[in-house]
Formats: sequence, structure tokens, C-alpha cells
Amino acid sequence: MSVRHREWPVALALTPVLILILAPFVWLVISSFKTEAEIGQADPFTWPADLMWRNYLDAWQIGGFGELVGNSLLNLIGVVALSLITCAPAGYALAKIRFPGREWLFYAFILGLTVPVQAIVIPLYQVLFGLNLVNTLAGIVLVQVSNGIPFGIFLMRSFFIGVPDDLIEAAKIDGASHIQILTKVFLPISTPAVQALVIISALSTWNDFFLPLIVLISPDVQTLPLGLVRFASTYASDYRLVFSGTVISFLPIILLYILMQRRFTEGLTQGAIKG
Amino acid sequence: MAIRETPGSKVMAPLSAAPAVAGHTGGISARMSKRRTAGSASPDGDARTAFWLMAPALALYGVFTLLPIAATFWLSFNSSAGFNTSASFVGVDNYTKAAHDPIVWKSLVHTFIWLAGHVVMAGGLGLLLALAVSRLRTTQVFFRTAFFLPHLVSLAVVGVIWANIYDPFFGLLNTALTRIGLGAFTKGWLSDPALVLFSVNVASSWQGFGLYMLLFIAGLQNIDRSLYDAVEVDGANAFQKLIYVTLPGLREVMTFVVSLAMINGLKGFATVFVMTNGGPFYQSELITTYIYRLAFQSQDHGLAAVLCILLSLLAIVITIIFNRWRARLSQ
Repeated sequence: MSVRHREWPVALALTPVLILILAPFVWLVISSFKTEAEIGQADPFTWPADLMWRNYLDAWQIGGFGELVGNSLLNLIGVVALSLITCAPAGYALAKIRFPGREWLFYAFILGLTVPVQAIVIPLYQVLFGLNLVNTLAGIVLVQVSNGIPFGIFLMRSFFIGVPDDLIEAAKIDGASHIQILTKVFLPISTPAVQALVIISALSTWNDFFLPLIVLISPDVQTLPLGLVRFASTYASDYRLVFSGTVISFLPIILLYILMQRRFTEGLTQGAIKG
Repeated sequence: MAIRETPGSKVMAPLSAAPAVAGHTGGISARMSKRRTAGSASPDGDARTAFWLMAPALALYGVFTLLPIAATFWLSFNSSAGFNTSASFVGVDNYTKAAHDPIVWKSLVHTFIWLAGHVVMAGGLGLLLALAVSRLRTTQVFFRTAFFLPHLVSLAVVGVIWANIYDPFFGLLNTALTRIGLGAFTKGWLSDPALVLFSVNVASSWQGFGLYMLLFIAGLQNIDRSLYDAVEVDGANAFQKLIYVTLPGLREVMTFVVSLAMINGLKGFATVFVMTNGGPFYQSELITTYIYRLAFQSQDHGLAAVLCILLSLLAIVITIIFNRWRARLSQ
């Protein structure tokens, strides 16, 4: 396509669209520095007279955001680690070992890939209750990992299938076991798949709301999105607190994305396409 | 992807018919052809190894996914008034009860409107922006990155953001309309029963379009450049190139995005729960929010289970239809 000469007209036409799309962020960030009286003037096109950093201090303390961020990080690390530990070996087995029942397992995983988690929530809660896992981070980690397992397995499997069988044969002649083949041969050459799995499971865990809503009841174990919703409904009329709390909730992930946008983009598209 | 919900949410169907990335294609249909060759390196003794490799995943998945799926099915034929009560078999009573519950029908209709709105708004915006952004060279990464930002935000946080945008007195939308002299267009975006479902859907689609845009951009990059040269020789203008080369070249990605958007729409929960909790007067109630209400508030588990089955069936039907369609396209 010889479209190079279109660069600036297209970029210029896209600019107003971009401003509209990003307006919610800009408005929230600006409003979060206003005093309650300035917000009361109901004029989105004015700047705050002084930057009210206090709003952030107050929101951080009142909302307990330090604890929420800590819980979200623990949650994320647990899910990413456990997803890799469970999905990589299972994806390898499904891709490279022929065993009885493989077809069956395949359909069992497709079932879980299709059925929405909201549709199994009642027994899921009962299972967690029976195992004493309600209101624990361990409980939410196990459920989220299980929820992501079909996707993770298919992702790893579809990557592993493309690795030539000759590599396995050669490693076997050298006396390697399947575990060794997986860790020494397959994983080192599977960076794109591992990267996609890490990014997708991290992002979906960090942003999950439904499962934490069911499982995490008391504030001291809650994650960031759930904690923000509770905070925003408790202090609904304290706009300065709600605004700064909301900015606290979306800013870290956006900064991280801007720093690593290439990896994110690759991981998300590859994952979506290959899962 | 999780999205899933969280895009993150987790992404639906495996597809082999996607814009192929560097030689590795997988998925359901590829499986049929790979089945014979893939295991060729393995004598029978490997079955036990396979079992141990699968064991951690199977244990978790069995307890926290397969068992609850089966239990939901069982529960839909039983009456249960809460988490700590015993259930008794009632046949199809819950199903007839569901058929006579007006809110079930309401939530079903809303869910269909919701997912159609999501496909059109989020999918459509994703496509339009992908077409524009992919024409850029020097500023492409900037625009792609910037347009993707909303997708990084949790749908629950999106709910809080847009509840404030729609705030009748201090929200961005009404105050901006008033300031630019369009005060006549200010509305109670979340309190007007005729508007509420649309308003919340806009918030969800704002979060959703970024991923679809990325997928369309990836699809556009896979269209063979020589096709454009070929029609250019024939004197095709930009519009003809779009109709005869670009859109046909995007067919497979498009079916994938539509199915993904439908499944994401079907799972819509967080924005509605946070912004309206299904109100006013159930005018934004979806199947998912009604399930939550029945399961954790009114504790009618039998009826909730019927809705769970309905939700699962919808997801399964959508997945099957689109897998078939995609398989036909790739032939």
C-alpha cells in the first residue's frame, strides 16, 4: 500500500477522536486535584487553583489503598505462577504425548473455555466454603487459576505442537525424561507463549471483579477493583476522594503498559489468536 | 483473555483460522490433522507420565470448574432456599418457574440488546480505528497505544469512572454539554429507564474496543500487499480497495472478533453491577446480574441455576456457530 503521503491527514483526523476517547481519564485526573468547592462549580473546562495533593493522601489512607494494592499484587503473583506451573506441563502432554483419554480431556477443557464463570457461581461458592477458602486470597487464586486453565493449556499446546518431534527424539536418545524435555528444550524456546500467558493472566487477574466480589468479603483481603467500588459507594458524595481514589486505581497499570507496550500488544494479540 | 472480564478476560474459542502467526497454528480443527503425528514420539509407557503432567491442572480444574458445572445442572432440578439449606428434587419446576418470571424474560432481552450493542459499538469502533491507524507509519505506535488505554482498566473501575461521567450534576457529560451551550441535551443518563441500558453499554464498549482494534490491526497486517498492487494496476480507488481487498481479507478476523465480542457481551456484569445494579426498575438487569441477585441476595438457588444453564447454553451455541462459520471460511 502506497499510503505514506496520507500520514498527516489521517493523524490529524484521528486526533479529535483520541481526545474524546481519552477525555474520561483527563477529566478525572484534573478533577482529582480540585477542592470540593471547585468540583461543585460543575465546570469541566477549568483548572484547579492549587493542586490538591491532599486528596490523594486522604483517599490513600481512608480507602486503605496500600493494603488493596498489596493484596492485588499477591493475587496476581499467585495466579501467574500457578498458571505457568499447571498449564505448561498439561499443554505439553496434550501436544506431544499420546495417551488414552486425550480426546475426552480435550472436550472437558473446551467446555470450561465456553461456560462463563458466572454460570457456575453457586456451587463454586459452596466448594470454597466447604474447603474453608471463602474470604482468603488462596481461595481466589485457586478459582482464578482454574478459570484460566483451559485458555492457558490451549495456548501452550498450540505453541508446543509447532515444535518438531525430532527435538523430542533427539533428547530421548540422550536419555532425557519428558519433564526434562519440557523444562530444558521446550520452555526455553517458548518465550512468546509464556509471555502471552503471563501478560493475559496478570491483566485479567489484576482487573477481575466478579470472583473477588463473591470470594473476598472483608476489606483486609480485598483486591483493588473491589476495594475501589466499596470505597466509591461509601464516600459517594466526597467527589474529591472518589476521583483521586479512581485515579490511584487505574494509573499504575496504564504507566506499566506505556513502558512495556510492545510486549503487551504482542502478548495480547498472540494470546487472543492462538488460545 | 481474560476478560476477560478481564480481557483480560479470557478469550473464547481456539482458532486455527486466525491470521496465522509465524507458522504455529493450533486449535480445534488443527487438532484433527495433528492427532496422528503429534504423539508419534511416544510409546505406551508414556501414559503415566502424561497423567502426572496433567495432574495439577486436572485437580484444580476438576474441583473448581467441572464439579461446579455438574452441580449447577443438578441444582436446576432441585429446590434450595440458600447456601446452608438442604435441597430436594423438584423435577422441572424451576424451569417452569423461570418461564413465568417476567424478570427472566426482561434480563434475557436486555442481554441480547446488550451484546448486539457491544458488537456494534466496540467491534465497529475497533474496526474503524484499525483501518485508520494501520494507514499510519510514524505515529502508528502512538495512536495504537493511546487508543488501547481504556482496555487496561478493570470493568469495575470503568463502572466507577462512568458513573461519575454520567453524574447528573457534577458529571463530565452534563457539565460539558451545558458549558458548550447544549444544555438541552443533558439527561439523567442512568436514571432514565429508556436510556440506562445504552448508557452503561457505552461505558463497557469504551473499555472493550481496544482489544478488537488490536486484533483487526493484526489482521490487516496479514493481508497480502501484492493484492493491493494488483487492483491498483486495474485503477482501483481507495474505496474499491477497501471493498475488494481489505474487507474480504479481514473476514476471518471479523468472525473471530464478532464471536469474542458476543461472548464478552454475554458475560457483561461489572459495569451494570457497579453503575446501576440492574435498575431502575430492572431496566438494566442482565442474566448475569439477575443470577447474582438470585444467588446471593434472594437466595433462590433453583431459579438461579436455571438461568446459569441458560447462560451456558447461549455461550455454547454462539461458540459452535462461530466455529462452524470459521471452519467454512478457512476452506
